Amino acid sequence: MRQPVKDYRIGIVTPTLSASEDEFRGAVRVAKKYPGMIKHISLPENFQEEQETAITQILSLGDQKDIKAIVICAGFSGILPAIQKVKARRPDMIVITAPIWDDPDMMAKYIDLCLDTDWIKRGITIPEKAQRMGAKTFIHYSFPTHMAKEVLAKRRDIMKETCERLGMKFLALNTPDPKTGAGSTPMLQFLQEDIPRQIAKYGRDTCIFGTNCPMQDVIIAKALELKFIMAEQCCPTPTQGYPAAMELEISEQDAGDFDKINTMIRRKAAEAGCTGRLSTWPVPVGYFFPEFSTEVAMKLIEGELTDIGISSLSPMAKEVAGVDVYFEKMKPDLNNYYLIIMDSIIY
Amino acid sequence: MKRVGVQIPQFFIIFFLILMMFLAFRLEIPLNWIISDALVRLVMNGVLVLSLVPMLRAGIGINFGLPVGVIAGLLGLCMSVNMSIKGLLGLSAGILFSIPFAVALGYGYAGILNRVKGKEEITATFVGFSFIPLMNFFWSTAPFTNPAMLWPIGGKGMRPVIGLKSYFAKALNQLWMVEIAGVRVPIGLLLFFGILCLLLFLFFRTNFGRALKAVGENEQFAGLAGINISRVRAWAVILSTVIGAIGICVYAQSYGFIELYDAPLMMAFPAASAILVGGSMGRHTHIIHVVIGTFLFQTTYLISGPIANELMIPEVAEIFRLMITNGIILYALLYEGGKSHAAV
Repeated sequence: MRQPVKDYRIGIVTPTLSASEDEFRGAVRVAKKYPGMIKHISLPENFQEEQETAITQILSLGDQKDIKAIVICAGFSGILPAIQKVKARRPDMIVITAPIWDDPDMMAKYIDLCLDTDWIKRGITIPEKAQRMGAKTFIHYSFPTHMAKEVLAKRRDIMKETCERLGMKFLALNTPDPKTGAGSTPMLQFLQEDIPRQIAKYGRDTCIFGTNCPMQDVIIAKALELKFIMAEQCCPTPTQGYPAAMELEISEQDAGDFDKINTMIRRKAAEAGCTGRLSTWPVPVGYFFPEFSTEVAMKLIEGELTDIGISSLSPMAKEVAGVDVYFEKMKPDLNNYYLIIMDSIIY
Repeated sequence: MKRVGVQIPQFFIIFFLILMMFLAFRLEIPLNWIISDALVRLVMNGVLVLSLVPMLRAGIGINFGLPVGVIAGLLGLCMSVNMSIKGLLGLSAGILFSIPFAVALGYGYAGILNRVKGKEEITATFVGFSFIPLMNFFWSTAPFTNPAMLWPIGGKGMRPVIGLKSYFAKALNQLWMVEIAGVRVPIGLLLFFGILCLLLFLFFRTNFGRALKAVGENEQFAGLAGINISRVRAWAVILSTVIGAIGICVYAQSYGFIELYDAPLMMAFPAASAILVGGSMGRHTHIIHVVIGTFLFQTTYLISGPIANELMIPEVAEIFRLMITNGIILYALLYEGGKSHAAV
């Protein structure tokens, strides 16, 4: 696994461990793969209130002469100003974001390669997968604060259109809002009680999708009990929902080994009689992005990669993820902003 | 005046509950499911609400620092899961393990509250709020070893949510569950709650319980009568914390997951609203307020969601829920404030 040391370093910026395990561990993994070549820093826990600290941290990476590329996997808005400053001082610095959420046109102007998950296209891919898995009804659980977000509302509308096109019944149901008042508890309690009601009404060939991360534990636990379909979580990864709902016993040496984790999930699904009813992406995007971006950065630095495009990125992504990764341009006129969809694993 | 004051929120909620029951019936939402869930919710949240009683009675106010007790309970539960103790035994072990933590944490918590007489509620709120981040640090480094509890990628530290299905999920819910006319009645669960209520009721009949009430009713008088006020208040806080710890154990087994990290942060607020809905007014809190309040409060939540979804007005359920949770607390604070103002 270890690679020969080269005479430059790459800076990787992620949130803290407690803010997001995937990105953090992804970066740690790359640092192990290329010892001495990676400078991993984590952003302040409370990013929105300490943006200045974050900017200083990124600028400090730019000031180190041996750092030739910066990979930022943060999923925040407000990082672009730091990148602009770095680029002003070091025009040769390669910056890859996977993802940050600032204005796409501005990002494409300053950043060498912008990557993100194709959140909206999942409005098509999820119902299509659900139908292949045998779903006749599609239930979309969300709440007002999420539906006020443009991307999520748009995805719901596309899901509805896709379901209509495929001849599936589509239901958008509301849960108590976890962003107001008493946190996630009332929402999860509602799901515990409402899912059995809906399954009694619409039958087992129903796919349930929830837009909020904590929902996934309950949805998957109920899927094991009631045998309905769960085509994808809000953030598709084997490490969301499955570990708690299936009580996966992942030992320290197996931790982060997705082949083993996926085998474990497949076995538990079979034990519960849910084979073919549960699915997700085999590797978390947050874990995939740091390694993939670093590989791209290295190839760019070493001159092995000169033309960034779908044809050059896809094979590299497949090598890192172990499954097919589909790239698509964010906008037709942006040549360095790509959105990805990963191939699924059906347990 | 007092009678009317006590009855406005209850009247309001009972009215809505009846209206919603009627609507649910018209919309063909299966009522037997709703009643079954309401019974479970009563106990699931009822014990947490019950934990507010000792502190209210002792005149310390609403225990907004409920997360302190909850964390003691979570520690106990995690220890039980770590040892892979299953079934009712696992739940009992969880409760037993949590009690020493609850007593110790409650003692420290009481020390803080005894120093800020008159400002207990706001202090308690912030004790809860500041204790949670501290515990977040603990959870991410806690030396537990059961791999079903650890982070799936890193392999160290606790997961935010731990599944209990193969340990003691629903252990108490399923105990002596019978079905009467399509309604699932969890007799074991109800009995457990009944016994806890009875024990607390009997506690208030003991000499110590009477002393506690005396402190709540008139501190100066109790002091003159030779009662060690700080000590009695400390015990009230400890008792609240212990019941809170038991409460989260019952809650977690019913929910089927242990939730760590920020999950307990806001738990005090629905509990406070529930007891206020039940008609509790500070020192004049009875166990019946807990039962009525939790039932009314949780059942309105339970039933408003499905109805709003059927009627395609989901936002209304949300607004209504927030209005009750926060409005009732505000009402009670106003009423309490108004009363003491009038007394001056």
